[in-house]
Amino acid sequence: MTQTEPVTAQIRMWWQRVEIKRIVWIWLGITVVLAIFALIVPARVMGSPASPTMRAVESTMTIFSVAAAPVMALVLSVAVYSLTGWRSRGSEPPIGDGPPIRGSGRVTATWMVVSSVLTMFVLIWGLGEMQSLSAEASAPNAMVVNVTGQQWVWTFSYPQNGNVESDQLYLPVNRPVVFHVTSKDVIHSFWVVEMGIKVDANPGEVTKTGVVPDTLGTFVVRCAELCGLLHAHMETQAHVVSSTDFAAWITAQESRAS
Amino acid sequence: MGTVRVYLKASGAVAAGVLVVVLAGTTLARAGTTPGLLNATVKGTAQTPVGVLPHAFLELATYPDSLAGEHGPDGGSKPDWVSYGPTTNLSAPAHSLVTITIKQYDSGGTITNPYFASVHGTVDGTMTINGQTATASKVDAIGHTFTIHAMPTNQDPLFVSVPLRALPDNAKPAPGSSYPVPNVVTFSFVTGGPGEYVWNCEYPCGDGTYANFGGPMSARGYMSGTFTVA
Amino acid sequence: MRRLNVVTAVAGGLGLALPGWAIARHFLEENDFGPDQVTVITMVCWAIGFMTGIGAFNGPIGWLRGHDLTPEDELFLAGKDQGIRRYFRFTTDHKVVGIQYLALTMVLFGVGGTMAMLIRTNLISPNSNFLSPQEYNAIVGLHGLIMIIATIIMVTGPFGNFIMPMMIGARDMAFPRLNALSLWLIVAAVPVLLSATFLGGIPTGWVGYAPLADQAPPGMDAYMMTIIIFAISSAVAGANITTTVLTMRARGMTWNRTPIFVYGVVASVGLAIPAFPMFMASQVMLGLDRTMGGRFYVASGGGSPWLYANLFWLMGHPEVYVILIPAMAALMELTAVFSRKPLFSFNTAVLGIVGISVLSVMVWAHHMYASGWAPNLNGAFMLTTEMISIPTGMLFLVILGTIWRGRIWTRLPMMATYAMLWNFIIGGITGLYLSDVPLDYALHGSMFVTAHFHYTLMGAGLTGAIGALAFWFPKMTGRMLNERFGFISFWLVQIGFNVTFIGMFAVGLAGQPRRVFTYNNLLATGNFVSTIGAYAIGIGMLFLMYAVISSWRHGSLAPSNPWGSKTLEWTVPNPIPLENFTVLPVVTSDAYGYGEEPFEPIEGPTRRDELEPAHVGSAADEQSTEGARP
Repeated sequence: MTQTEPVTAQIRMWWQRVEIKRIVWIWLGITVVLAIFALIVPARVMGSPASPTMRAVESTMTIFSVAAAPVMALVLSVAVYSLTGWRSRGSEPPIGDGPPIRGSGRVTATWMVVSSVLTMFVLIWGLGEMQSLSAEASAPNAMVVNVTGQQWVWTFSYPQNGNVESDQLYLPVNRPVVFHVTSKDVIHSFWVVEMGIKVDANPGEVTKTGVVPDTLGTFVVRCAELCGLLHAHMETQAHVVSSTDFAAWITAQESRAS
Repeated sequence: MGTVRVYLKASGAVAAGVLVVVLAGTTLARAGTTPGLLNATVKGTAQTPVGVLPHAFLELATYPDSLAGEHGPDGGSKPDWVSYGPTTNLSAPAHSLVTITIKQYDSGGTITNPYFASVHGTVDGTMTINGQTATASKVDAIGHTFTIHAMPTNQDPLFVSVPLRALPDNAKPAPGSSYPVPNVVTFSFVTGGPGEYVWNCEYPCGDGTYANFGGPMSARGYMSGTFTVA
Repeated sequence: MRRLNVVTAVAGGLGLALPGWAIARHFLEENDFGPDQVTVITMVCWAIGFMTGIGAFNGPIGWLRGHDLTPEDELFLAGKDQGIRRYFRFTTDHKVVGIQYLALTMVLFGVGGTMAMLIRTNLISPNSNFLSPQEYNAIVGLHGLIMIIATIIMVTGPFGNFIMPMMIGARDMAFPRLNALSLWLIVAAVPVLLSATFLGGIPTGWVGYAPLADQAPPGMDAYMMTIIIFAISSAVAGANITTTVLTMRARGMTWNRTPIFVYGVVASVGLAIPAFPMFMASQVMLGLDRTMGGRFYVASGGGSPWLYANLFWLMGHPEVYVILIPAMAALMELTAVFSRKPLFSFNTAVLGIVGISVLSVMVWAHHMYASGWAPNLNGAFMLTTEMISIPTGMLFLVILGTIWRGRIWTRLPMMATYAMLWNFIIGGITGLYLSDVPLDYALHGSMFVTAHFHYTLMGAGLTGAIGALAFWFPKMTGRMLNERFGFISFWLVQIGFNVTFIGMFAVGLAGQPRRVFTYNNLLATGNFVSTIGAYAIGIGMLFLMYAVISSWRHGSLAPSNPWGSKTLEWTVPNPIPLENFTVLPVVTSDAYGYGEEPFEPIEGPTRRDELEPAHVGSAADEQSTEGARP
């Protein structure tokens, strides 16, 4: 071998090869499209958040989707390019084999490192989120609402407000609330959709979840665990009202009960 | 074989498959016996807190078995299940005052959720039981409840729940009938716009099943039905 | 023994079940648990009668009596010289069992798919009133369980049985009679499951959560017995497959030279062996609750509903990998062939499969984040669940690396790989969302979860099984699968599938719970779109069924190795001799020597769409195309 041969044999580094460049362009294009989709669509479909919890949920959804965009784009760009650049045309069998690439230590190691880093990111984000949301749920001056699931109706009682009972959930805005949830019969799941909280209602147990409703309005409470015949109809409304309106409602309920 | 014939044969096979699925679907859809619809009868108008509205009436009964009502005199496949009669598919007009009278022929016991021992959703929060006005029944003597509810997001919210007092366990049959003299409960509520609601009993009376909510409690045509506001 | 077949099996089942039912009713009906006790006894009688009638017990009973099977008996049992009748008997030849599994899988998909069409029809609009809530809940539950059973067996059953022994250079499996037993147990279980429709259905969805399951009508007993029978079948099959692979590989087939598909099948049954007994235990306890006043799952009696959930998900999570791994392994196998390249980083593929298997038993409570059972453990389960994405990613690396710079031959099997890449990346990423605890609080119990697992189990799993079918069809039937209708089916199913389940992601994000027979008016468009997509899937699958059946009957005869694959099963001639290899092969290298060994021209089919041989009625047409030959 002369002195020049190793140089000419190496003249194309891996990033200079035509197929790599084309795949990178395809990857970039798909990443941009997916990232735009990720920034707009999931949060819009999930609707307007009614609590900081739901805001965190929607932003997590968006961030995870944006982070997933280059990963999905990588898979798709290689797949798409392979169908144009490496395809054996026609339905005839190919007339030769491909190169005997048994593996590549560098590629495998890079892949492992990147996937571990992404996993770490997702994990740490999730743990951080859990930490901040659990702080909300156990705020010391939280109002307690007892939630009872029964086939197929939700009922609520307010032990700190004269044991008022209702089939609809009334909450004062900007006040932390903790739900003590149980069931009279089978497993139900207490889900306040727009506030992003959910906890199962189990017979013989009391489970807890908490939230700070920060938006006035009427929201929906559904059951998220199949509980028999009318599971689909086990739905009621959550009304977030001002503190004065809430006090007025409590008074009205108390006078009706007596 | 010509290309056209090939495609015809394939399409024929696919069409046959679709036909099988359609047959399965229509058989299933028809198989469940749909109880007849009971429309509320409208008689005149009435004064309500929201103005003068048409006044509609429905008459129902709760039985300790299925021998009266929609399952025929032999009680259908489950003659010993408690049931509502004459049918469980109910309908009432929109924007009306609906008055329902229920004759309660069954015994009962202690209700599991005291919320349903009180009256909710009626015009003035009361019911009439055997002629006397009340806002609740005693929690240890409930026979059934009549509870209307539904997805509030598809129609005007409507939540009405009335406890139906139980007869004593040792009540004797009235002369000329196989059932004792019933407790008669009457209540009225105002309907909103058109919508599809469901109703069911919230006193667990499905004896022998877990939480007493199986059996008739979980079956349309017995302790659960539909309430259409049209 | 020589006169036993499926007809005598049904007769035996009914012959024991009807008297059993009558006697049980007479003595037991009056007591509290009567209907459930009678139902369970009837079904046990059916199962025992059916298995007796098919001859499953002949071997052991003969052995107990000192009259073990003679070599003629064994050849008879293996289906020698019986023609088509051997498919309706307790035949031990692994090739016959594989075909029987394929037929059973197709029937199960047909029934489950019909139910899916009914479900989506009911959801075409809010308050469609097509099905009553009770019927809808029952169909949702039965659809789920039938599909779970079908997807568990869909690769390991037909291809793990027919192909795998030949792939390792063996003459049959280690326990041929257990092989037939595992199949016929499932056949016995299918009428038991379908009888739920006449027994009041199941109100619980396929997971069968207690205590709703305690409350359910006798249809729940049918569910319970089906699981118990199926658990026995899968334990038997698992023992068979693992022993076969561990002990019967050809001489020279070290673990490094074992094809990746074999690893996939072994990992799958290796997970099933610890997992399904958990499910069986949960059902036995449910049976005690329902028939004898047990209170395992009843809080007021000292039990706990969380007990059921834990037992179920200890099975339920490994079970999805039982479904997924063989499908991915089959796709890895065929991707090497259709790229004409060695499998990229075989060791990574094995590590990925092993990593998924090991981690999958440590993640189960991610299904229970919102249950309130152990909120302090949610973080730990989030960790293990998110870690599973690493070995799963390794499988993507292997497939992408295999495709890289290959000579891609885009026949139907390879198209399944591309469909899997699209579907599984979506399924995997949406799984990542669900693994995040706060996101799961918003998404658990909604249609988002349903869409996620359909993307993984159907988009990757079923697609992989269809790819495997297209790949191995020539070896199993001796004919080529018609690709014109194969491709029509492929595009209808894949496009319909994505339309259906992207619509479902949307309504799930918007707040629609799962297993509901009606929904909020605002979600009508998403549900309508999903239903239309579902109809497209249904029509596509019917085209596939047509393609399979018509190709089986009049497809063009296949050469012995149409795809030019280097694994051992392609070295046997069509029709395949009864004992596969006249001389057992000795293996000197792995099956991925593309580009390393001299290229041998591929004898594959050139046209895609031959439906009949060139000359109808020729001698070639008369040849039987596979199966027992002396």
